[in-house]
Amino acid sequence: MSHLQMLSRIPRPLRTLERGMAQSQGWVKRYFRAFCKGFFVAVPVAVTFLDRVACVARVEGASMQPSLNPGGSQSSDVVLLNHWKVRNFEVQRGDIVSLVSPKNPEQKIIKRVIALEGDIVKTIGHKNRYVKVPRGHIWVEGDHHGHSFDSNSFGPVSLGLLHAHATHILWPPERWQKLESVLPPERLPVQSEKESLHGSP
Amino acid sequence: MSVIWIRAEEVKHLFMSLGHLGPWWQSLHRTMLRGILGKTFRLVGYTIQYACIAHCTFEYVGGVVMCSGPSMEPTIQNSDIVCAENLSRHFYGIQRGDIVIAKSPSDPKSNICKRVIGLEGDKILTSHPSDFFKSHNYVPTGHVWLEGDNLQNSTDSRYYGPVPYGLIRGRIFFKIWPLSDFGFLRDSPNGHRSPGD
Repeated sequence: MSHLQMLSRIPRPLRTLERGMAQSQGWVKRYFRAFCKGFFVAVPVAVTFLDRVACVARVEGASMQPSLNPGGSQSSDVVLLNHWKVRNFEVQRGDIVSLVSPKNPEQKIIKRVIALEGDIVKTIGHKNRYVKVPRGHIWVEGDHHGHSFDSNSFGPVSLGLLHAHATHILWPPERWQKLESVLPPERLPVQSEKESLHGSP
Repeated sequence: MSVIWIRAEEVKHLFMSLGHLGPWWQSLHRTMLRGILGKTFRLVGYTIQYACIAHCTFEYVGGVVMCSGPSMEPTIQNSDIVCAENLSRHFYGIQRGDIVIAKSPSDPKSNICKRVIGLEGDKILTSHPSDFFKSHNYVPTGHVWLEGDNLQNSTDSRYYGPVPYGLIRGRIFFKIWPLSDFGFLRDSPNGHRSPGD
């Protein structure tokens, strides 16, 4: 008996049911395929963007008062972290940067760059009074001296630990601003080897 | 006056001849442009997608690395090709005796390949083995002590001090070239240099 003859022997309601079932299975397969395609496109692109271009982070702690978190624990600032600007490890004195903590690799800390390689810094509370920043390192400090775990505690940090450059405050809305790269005059290095691209005050 | 009139006629003739080509030229332009533009966008899209997948793989899974320099002889010779994995770094599973790739502390754009001799809190023998009075150093928290296997010809933690854990990029676990040395990597030829915790 031919295939067509067999088909014609199946009663009509059963044939439409089979066709419906085949269609719904086809729908599930198509959805699954589209989901996989979207997943493998969207996830790597998003992850690469957040790792290499920019991401957003909430600042906790009081070590950068009054520039960041002036309200203490009531409201934490949310900052925009720009990875793209530090892809070649180029930072200027006065930049606010985030880096991997040298004492705890699971944590990221956010501080201001005070001195670049070759500069001689006058320290606050470090075991040596004057420190020359070695090659490939930077000296970072929080704006709130005394309440900050920074280079005055752990010394110069390697540029390889640099994570991102904090450029803007995004939240709360009344604190929307661009973060300026200013260095307070009392924290200028005693002697600098490298010149900044835009001169610090 | 007559010269200008002739020039205008010439221009009018030119435009009329172009006008005959008009529709054919426009349709060719449109399909060529759309085809080329479409293909370019698709190519750019695929390039971005594969670049992102490559970044995620090299950053979170691992990759193939070529090592240069004599500081890890005899375990890894100059121009050997090895496989590195990054999962141990992310899960903080690096142990004593592992060979790791790290960013150089003095030059963040270059990588170093050394063996982990001590983890944080370990006591490291820093004096020369022939010295009578032995001196020890403790590895600070969040740091590791790296040394190359070729102790005579290696600048490592004995020169620049303990290295922060955050500089480690990945762990080398397998050699794939030269084929005569294919396989997992050997233990350190220098024995145990740290008395442990």
